[in-house]
Amino acid sequence: MDIVVCVKTNPDLQMVRIKNREAVTEAVPYKIGDLEKNALQAAVDLRAAAGGKVTALCLAESNRKAAEDIKVALAMGADEAVVIDDPALAAPDQAAIAAVLAAAVKKIGACDLLLFGEGSSDNYTGQVGARVAELLGLPQIGYARKVEAADGAVRCERSMDDMIETLEAPLPAAVTVVSEINEPTIPGLMQIMKAKSKPLQVWALADLGLGAPAPVREIVSNLAEEQDRKNILFEGTVAEQADAFVNALIKEGVLGR
Amino acid sequence: MEQVECIIVGGGLAGLSAAYGLASAGVEVMVLERGDYSGAKNVTGGRLYVKPIRGFYPELWEELPYERPIARELVTMMGDGAHTTIEIASDRFAGAKPQSYTVLRAKLDQWLAEKVTEKGAMVVPNMKVDELLRKDGRVIGIRAGGDEIGAQVVIVAEGVLRLLSSEAGLAAEPQAKHHALGYKEVIELPSGVIEDRWHLNPGEGAAQFFMGACTKGMMGGGFLYTNKESISLGMVVGMEDMRRRRDGTESWQLLDEFKELPQIKPLVAGGVVAEYSAHSVPEGGISQVPKLAGDGYLVAGDTAGLSLNALVTVRGMDFAIASGYFAAEAVKRAKKAGDFTAAGLASYEASLRNSFVLKDLETARAIPGFMENPRLFTHYPVAVSRLLESIYTIDERPQAGLFKKAWRGLRRDFMNVATVKDAWSMRKI
Amino acid sequence: MAALLVYSERVDTACELVAGGKELAAALGLGVSAVALGPGAGAAASALAAAGADSVYVSEDAAFEGWPADAVAAGLAQIVEQAGASVVLVGSTRRGKETAPRLAQKLGAGCVSDVSSLVVEDGDLVAGRYAFGGATVAREKLVTAVKVFAVMPKTFDAEGASAGAGTVVSPALSVSTAVKVVDHRAKEGDHVNLDAAPLIVGVGRGFNAREDLALGDELAAALGAVVGCTKSLADFEWLGEDRIIGLSGAKTAPDLYLSVGVSGQIQHTVGVSAAKLIAAVNKDKEAPIFALADYGIVGDLYEVLPALTERLKSV
Ligand SMILES: Cc1cc2nc3c(=O)[nH]c(=O)nc-3n(C[C@H](O)[C@H](O)[C@H](O)COP(=O)(O)OP(=O)(O)OC[C@H]3O[C@@H](n4cnc5c(N)ncnc54)[C@H](O)[C@@H]3O)c2cc1C
Ligand SMILES: Cc1cc2nc3c(=O)[nH]c(=O)nc-3n(C[C@H](O)[C@H](O)[C@H](O)COP(=O)(O)OP(=O)(O)OC[C@H]3O[C@@H](n4cnc5c(N)ncnc54)[C@H](O)[C@@H]3O)c2cc1C
Ligand SMILES: Nc1ncnc2c1ncn2[C@@H]1O[C@H](COP(=O)(O)O)[C@@H](O)[C@H]1O
Repeated sequence: MDIVVCVKTNPDLQMVRIKNREAVTEAVPYKIGDLEKNALQAAVDLRAAAGGKVTALCLAESNRKAAEDIKVALAMGADEAVVIDDPALAAPDQAAIAAVLAAAVKKIGACDLLLFGEGSSDNYTGQVGARVAELLGLPQIGYARKVEAADGAVRCERSMDDMIETLEAPLPAAVTVVSEINEPTIPGLMQIMKAKSKPLQVWALADLGLGAPAPVREIVSNLAEEQDRKNILFEGTVAEQADAFVNALIKEGVLGR
Repeated sequence: MEQVECIIVGGGLAGLSAAYGLASAGVEVMVLERGDYSGAKNVTGGRLYVKPIRGFYPELWEELPYERPIARELVTMMGDGAHTTIEIASDRFAGAKPQSYTVLRAKLDQWLAEKVTEKGAMVVPNMKVDELLRKDGRVIGIRAGGDEIGAQVVIVAEGVLRLLSSEAGLAAEPQAKHHALGYKEVIELPSGVIEDRWHLNPGEGAAQFFMGACTKGMMGGGFLYTNKESISLGMVVGMEDMRRRRDGTESWQLLDEFKELPQIKPLVAGGVVAEYSAHSVPEGGISQVPKLAGDGYLVAGDTAGLSLNALVTVRGMDFAIASGYFAAEAVKRAKKAGDFTAAGLASYEASLRNSFVLKDLETARAIPGFMENPRLFTHYPVAVSRLLESIYTIDERPQAGLFKKAWRGLRRDFMNVATVKDAWSMRKI
Repeated sequence: MAALLVYSERVDTACELVAGGKELAAALGLGVSAVALGPGAGAAASALAAAGADSVYVSEDAAFEGWPADAVAAGLAQIVEQAGASVVLVGSTRRGKETAPRLAQKLGAGCVSDVSSLVVEDGDLVAGRYAFGGATVAREKLVTAVKVFAVMPKTFDAEGASAGAGTVVSPALSVSTAVKVVDHRAKEGDHVNLDAAPLIVGVGRGFNAREDLALGDELAAALGAVVGCTKSLADFEWLGEDRIIGLSGAKTAPDLYLSVGVSGQIQHTVGVSAAKLIAAVNKDKEAPIFALADYGIVGDLYEVLPALTERLKSV
């Protein structure tokens, strides 16, 4: 079974700081999103059962040279990687990302299963998987926490707001995964070394026969919310702190109403 | 066992510099870095002297992601309720080819790692080397996370702690008396405020050094470097002195107290602490430099003890980069000769001896001993400030003549057996 | 009249969106239509009308059973066409969130998901959503002819809405799905409604073991609060998913949020940033939660909680 996993690299959110209400990403290293690591692991596990090939596909956003970052996907077990890197993709919206990824999947060719994260770490829009599925005319299953493939179909368990479901779709299909699906393995040095010789291609938009995408959205602003909190830390023994805290709650009118 | 030509342990400046030189020459290199990325945990005060290293990899230093070229140098001697600041400014400090820049390691090291990768080396973050593999006295590779990889030569640039190299018997275990502890905060301030507070032209920077009261009599001093939109404020204190203290001050409190001093408080007012870090600094000088090369290995940077604290100038980064450069040169030569034994790698030590690295360390041989003199951190800063304070004091009493005031102060604080001895010992530094 | 179209498989969410959408539609000069899909959907029509829908498109086509994204997106696209809709609001539940982008893609439309605020500014809809894992709020405009917004439940209030005509329309739709529901079962465990709770105790990984959560329960009981948790605890299956607070869980606005052993990662704290008061117990004085808190106790929860519970009992 041939699987394409859409893998995005984004700034390490733990390192993004807020300054003057803006997110500072300068000097923040990029890494593969956690949910995409889950998707990769799911692909590697499926391949172990059914054979085939796993391709990691990444559109480099923010003009970040993702070819280096994506090697982690190869070390985690993908057989090949494709990176799409083009100056016209500095700040693509989800429609553009999906159009490019769909074109790339077509160019890659063999693809029985397309895997995504439920959302990317920084945007977390959950749009890309559904849009690519629509563009390629594939059935889609979101939020998979278990995935199996057999007899030309994929079967997933997912937990929705109201119930737990098991769904089945014929292959080829698109599936997005949640973090509960597995515990991604951290690649060892040998795997990292072997990844070096695995095929990695970098394509520009022209290689996909695409031009610069027309934007569908405009970002008006992107600022941290202003929080005005008291930031009072109580002092003293545990009993004194508990006492001071309860007194504060009474004063605030939260207790003793 | 899987083989590569060269493994570099530690993706700090020394390791990356070596990797850059080797990868540029087509040598197969792999850099293993314990941190999440290069620069993640590397601590530096913040000033890189570029002049000594401009000749190595000249194409690199033009694009260096620096913060500010340093145009003003300030030294503040902190006495007892009085302090004296000396300013040294020169057109030649900054200018077209500045001699030093302030830098932030998270940026600098990541940038260099990217350059190294572009040259074709592999930089592997999140990879802690657990052991240097040895066979018949020769270093033959490394073990990391259960995997063993062989190499013709290993460059050990693991920084100051020398955990691996001392375990493998390549270098002595670090001793407290040859080390200092550094604490540092990065405090954000708008660039305009920085330029106002330190009287700087736009884009230019200042370095300020503090001695005296801030270390509470312990060996060391405080430092302050201006970055683009932040300042690096910290202090370095002798580890032995720190250990001997019995007043219960936790080491991190020192920096908090430093920030509260009346000389510092207005400088950092309104700033937001963005980062805190602590690290040790080698201070042993040339006497603590281990064997620099052996069969199958080289040591570079802090691991090789290449760091110089000359009281008002702290250097380590330029030495780290230079030693990385010479390590790469030596490995290239060894590769050509097909000889990675101590003899084949001997040109490394020779190059360091012929360069500023070991020459400057040699020149400064006496400094570590000199700095053990506690009067440097207690008596003198107070005395200087007291002397100048008396000269500048006008009170209700009839004033002594200027000369008399000065003479009185000089005689009291600078002309006794101890100070004469100090002056005599200074001749060596 | 061109329309603003509202859809959610959850009737309560659909009603909120109709009520909120009505004000937006008025500012944009649009009418409000609602959509109800799936077997039994007709029953929702009167509620949607009461919430303000001028017309309600109802289809009980069997393909909508279980609301598969491909069929729902196809059905909605056809209704958008028939209703001449230029704005579509979809409830950003898990089902809605996977359907809205597929619909947008069919319509060549832009889409904003997880919308937590939606307003008209200078004749344009501006949607707010959390970005950078919740650290910032991005305000976005769509520039396409049709605009799709997946709006978080509770963004609008259904109460006090003025009723609409509620004309029921039965559109002719051609839909099918390739996804088959093999099995479904109700979720186990107790259900809580964090959205409405006035006092919440939030528990995190500071608890060493599942049994220790009893300490949190006792504190909550003494306070009269409901227990919520970080995603980590739900991942361990120590508590149910509906207790998660944050980006992928509930967005709450209680009078008091008291966190215990919670570090305060942004993905969690976006779920409580609207709380009137935030308090925290954490043994690490540098924990990011303290920067967001009004009141903080730095200490070991195993010591602090018993003392706090004891003290609360005396109130
Ligand atoms: C407070 C302070 C102020 C200073 N001020 C200045 C200054 O102003 N100017 C100046 O020039 N110098 C200054 N220095 C000195 C300077 O920072 C150092 O000399 C320099 O960083 C040394 O570089 P290095 O590459 O040898 O070591 P490091 O930068 O420490 O790099 C060593 C690397 O090895 C990695 N590593 C360690 N063990 C392992 C392992 N087992 N496996 C994998 N990786 C490992 C570490 O993570 C680290 O990245 C200062 C130092 C301190 C602490
Ligand atoms: C896409 C995405 C979506 C996410 N959505 C959510 C979400 O909706 N909700 C959510 O909660 N998380 C979410 N997360 C996860 C989130 O990033 C954090 O990992 C999580 O919130 C951390 O949970 P925690 O605070 O319980 O654990 P930790 O971060 O491990 O913190 C535990 C804290 O307990 C303290 N502690 C330890 N022992 C004690 C003690 N004895 N006494 C007192 N204090 C103690 C520690 O100091 C620490 O601060 C999401 C992550 C991603 C990537
Ligand atoms: N630039 C990208 N390159 C590759 N895959 C992506 C990219 N952006 C999003 N994805 C995939 O789409 C999923 C959802 O992303 P998002 O819509 O941004 O929340 C991610 O988990 C990835 O699997």
